[in-house]
Amino acid sequence: MSLKNLLNDWSHYRKGIEDGGFYEYEHMWGMVVDLNKCTGCNACSVSCYSENNLAVVGKDRMMKGQGLHWLRLERYWDEPDMGGDDKEFQERGGSFLPMMCQQCNAATCEVVCPVAATYHTPDGLNAQIYNRCIGSRYCSNNCPYRLRYFNFYSYYEESWPEPLNQQLNPDLSVRDKGVMEKCTFCIQRIRTGKDKAAREGREVRDGDVVTACAQSCPTQAITFGDLLDKDAQVTKLWKSHQVELGKTKQNKSDEDLRGYRVLEGLNTDPCVMYLDRVREV
Amino acid sequence: MSGNDINRRDFLKFMGLGGVGAATLTGCDMPTTVTLEEGKEKVVSYLAPEEYVIPGIGVWYASTCQQCPSGCSIHGRVREGRVLKVEGNPESSMNGTGLCQMAHAGLQGHYNPDRLSKPLVRKGDKLTEASWEEAWALVEEKLGARTAWLTGTISGHQAVLLDDLKKTLGSNKSYAYEAINNGVGEALNKAVLGEATPRYRFDKAQSVLSFGADFLGTWVSPVHFTKEYAQKFRTGERGVLMVVEPKMTMTGANADFWVPARPGTEGALALGIANVLLHKHQVDGRVLPKAALDVIAKYSLAKTTDVTGVRSEAIVKMANYLRNNSPSIILSGPSAHEHANGSQNAAAAMLLNILLGNVGKTIESSGEMPVKDIAARPASSKAIVDFVADVGRGDIDAVVITGTNPVFTAPKALGVEDKLSQVPFKVALSMFIDETSALADVVLPLASSYEDWGTSVAAYQPHDKVIGVQQPLMQPLYKETKGLGDVLLSLLKSKGVDGYAGFDDYYAYLRKAFSDMPASVKQGKSDKAFWSAALQSGLINVGAASGSIKAKAPKVQAVGYEANSDYPFHLVPSARQGLWDGRHANIPWMQEAPDQVSKVFWDSWAEIHPKTANALGVKEGDFIRIESDQGVIETQVYIFKGVHPDVVAVPMGQGHENYGRYATGVGVNPLKILSPTTDESTGELANHATRVRVAKTGAKAPFPRLGGSEQQAGRLLVGTVTADVFRKTEGGDHVA
Repeated sequence: MSLKNLLNDWSHYRKGIEDGGFYEYEHMWGMVVDLNKCTGCNACSVSCYSENNLAVVGKDRMMKGQGLHWLRLERYWDEPDMGGDDKEFQERGGSFLPMMCQQCNAATCEVVCPVAATYHTPDGLNAQIYNRCIGSRYCSNNCPYRLRYFNFYSYYEESWPEPLNQQLNPDLSVRDKGVMEKCTFCIQRIRTGKDKAAREGREVRDGDVVTACAQSCPTQAITFGDLLDKDAQVTKLWKSHQVELGKTKQNKSDEDLRGYRVLEGLNTDPCVMYLDRVREV
Repeated sequence: MSGNDINRRDFLKFMGLGGVGAATLTGCDMPTTVTLEEGKEKVVSYLAPEEYVIPGIGVWYASTCQQCPSGCSIHGRVREGRVLKVEGNPESSMNGTGLCQMAHAGLQGHYNPDRLSKPLVRKGDKLTEASWEEAWALVEEKLGARTAWLTGTISGHQAVLLDDLKKTLGSNKSYAYEAINNGVGEALNKAVLGEATPRYRFDKAQSVLSFGADFLGTWVSPVHFTKEYAQKFRTGERGVLMVVEPKMTMTGANADFWVPARPGTEGALALGIANVLLHKHQVDGRVLPKAALDVIAKYSLAKTTDVTGVRSEAIVKMANYLRNNSPSIILSGPSAHEHANGSQNAAAAMLLNILLGNVGKTIESSGEMPVKDIAARPASSKAIVDFVADVGRGDIDAVVITGTNPVFTAPKALGVEDKLSQVPFKVALSMFIDETSALADVVLPLASSYEDWGTSVAAYQPHDKVIGVQQPLMQPLYKETKGLGDVLLSLLKSKGVDGYAGFDDYYAYLRKAFSDMPASVKQGKSDKAFWSAALQSGLINVGAASGSIKAKAPKVQAVGYEANSDYPFHLVPSARQGLWDGRHANIPWMQEAPDQVSKVFWDSWAEIHPKTANALGVKEGDFIRIESDQGVIETQVYIFKGVHPDVVAVPMGQGHENYGRYATGVGVNPLKILSPTTDESTGELANHATRVRVAKTGAKAPFPRLGGSEQQAGRLLVGTVTADVFRKTEGGDHVA
């Protein structure tokens, strides 16, 4: 392998978004979260704990911000879009926001990793290689969404005393001290879905892969799928709300369409689209 | 390799064996310390695996969730003999693919390190481990005609066995107690509509006004309602949700219009809204009897505001929404019901339903369950009041406690602990030691719902009426645990009751019971096919809801409000979806999951309004002292505008004194300081009627709340559009 090849490969993958980004993706896993449907019930988050072997860290460490909730339910009280906020009561309720890794296509976390432990897969995923990670935490520092979680300790003994450890999902590892982790869009489920399709000798279809959070949502507020699949529900939603990848500002024919991406002006190019919450005036 | 005796041939042999061993051992749960060299262990290959066990492949089995009484249908993923994940059963019209967080957390109840694995028998002051035979001999000997059964919600064939057992023993004392219940609502529905749990058609409603019914969180059948709410009520023409409650619940946090009224005056507010509907909107009042109209006439806007503390514009606004978004549903729940005048509040809310013509439109008959004897036995909080009274009369010699923890969940003033100590013999059937089972003389360890057979019938049935089937998802973790059905069956057998001797276990009984189901339920299937189909789908569909419903207007009385200068605040012991009545406080996931509204984890907190906080001189995280005539609790404050200024809300579920490593010593229990009040009409506990005084303690500590800023500071994190915009772009047939 010559240096030239290496650099070619590197720039091939590391094409900036202004050059259209890397485009030979096999899939582009994406998501839609409809905040009109989300009730903030937290089922997605606990489903994620159970699917992805997330450790329970306890009160003190949670208070230090060391909780490992790959999907956390944020709740805000103000409503910048609805005007005044000086009323006596919280009349229009709260604003819930399920936040999981936004799987940015121009991920700010990837470029700062000194060991390339976090990288972009041909599936459009922002992946984390645990056994390559040296724990520099640069990625978490650089994530504008604060969606990367660091294992400050080894949790396996404290978090899963016998026989709680029997619940651990054997499809993925339990992370150890010194490793960064985050939402993977349930990569083990993606793998299983792709393997199944391959065994049956067909392409992956919409619905073959459902993440644990999307699956468990009682309101079906979360839609997951392949943005390269024209017929996928997720693609249709992105299209009907006129949100496109690779933009820092969307040009919509109708400004009232609800789709938006969180902090997209930062040019992170997230693969998660949110649909505005709705309230009576 | 010099200096080593292994030659190449031995080395290859050894590697070959080791390779097989490794491949085999990764597939099963044998301890990794097994060494093949010792020749003590057999290498068993997976050439002939058990049925459906394919190493590395998860298989999904259907069952029914037992985490709360609403009976959602689940699929459990089983791999290598262990259950790893639960998901909603797509076939279920109750919950579909979705579940709540407590359902997912059932796994950590099942695998909980504090589970009981052996029977316990009291010797002196202490419960000590004993053989099943020893414990059982005591139980057999002591249970007789004066035995009481103190349970949670019970339905299905366990309930049938329990009924038979009571008949045999000649004991008629059973108490189904749930701290989170709809007892007042059920009694009123029964009187007005003729059935305790009618169907609520969120799919047909254009507006919902809830007086304290947290139907997205903890009320009646939350997952089903959540599904209907989001997928039908909030799509298309998008209905309007109004919520009146003293403290913002999850339902309140999703409201278009959230209004706090003075606790206990919800009925007055309903009457005030009716008054606006009659006079401003000319709604035809002839559907109501004259007596009711006379009471409504007293609630002018000024008077209603005077009683409830709600601004007149807010009252008019709610009336307008109801008038312009018809049909509607008016609901009422615990924070309106659990007062001395709770039934009055419920009746006033129901009156609005009648006035607006909702009965028959959005409130429908749920029809009859074809298999009557397995229907849900209604649970209430009156049950524990009755139990205490009956013990006090000396009517009870023995008590069997299962599925309920009244020492923790009943107001301390009732003296459940004291009364239990007067019962000579107490048996607890439980998976855990909790505050109640710790007082028992014998504790029999129960199997978890993932290890046991069972059937359950939810009190609230959606369109399809179903019997939920519960099947083991894995082998029991502990050999000496038994399911409730098996325990009841063993008791029936030991009493020599006719017809039970032939059943080896509860499974055999269930097989027979399924064979005996009416032909209409079996739909022409053979016994075997019917059983297989039931196991495969996890539910038996016994037909759609039918029947008509008619309302008989309830009597309403004027509702007033009295301030209390000694104890100026109201204590609201709110229900928290996650910990429920405290039964899930021993599940680490549920402790670590922040409360949906306040975002507090691993602790208790008191919610107060910014005005109140100013008056008390406290900031977030400061400790306050909450004192009633029954006692004192101290906890940290969370300050937000989702609580009435005269209210201090402390969620229940925390403050356990003896409930395993995760729950014990975490937070405070507001139920300890409740005044013993009951609803005058039904006798249900009035848990929201306690008045308290509140003071700053001076102590402060970091506050265990998720996240930093609760403001978006102009960033587009959660965008909001108006409902009119939504209706324009996505309303009606225009589905994106």
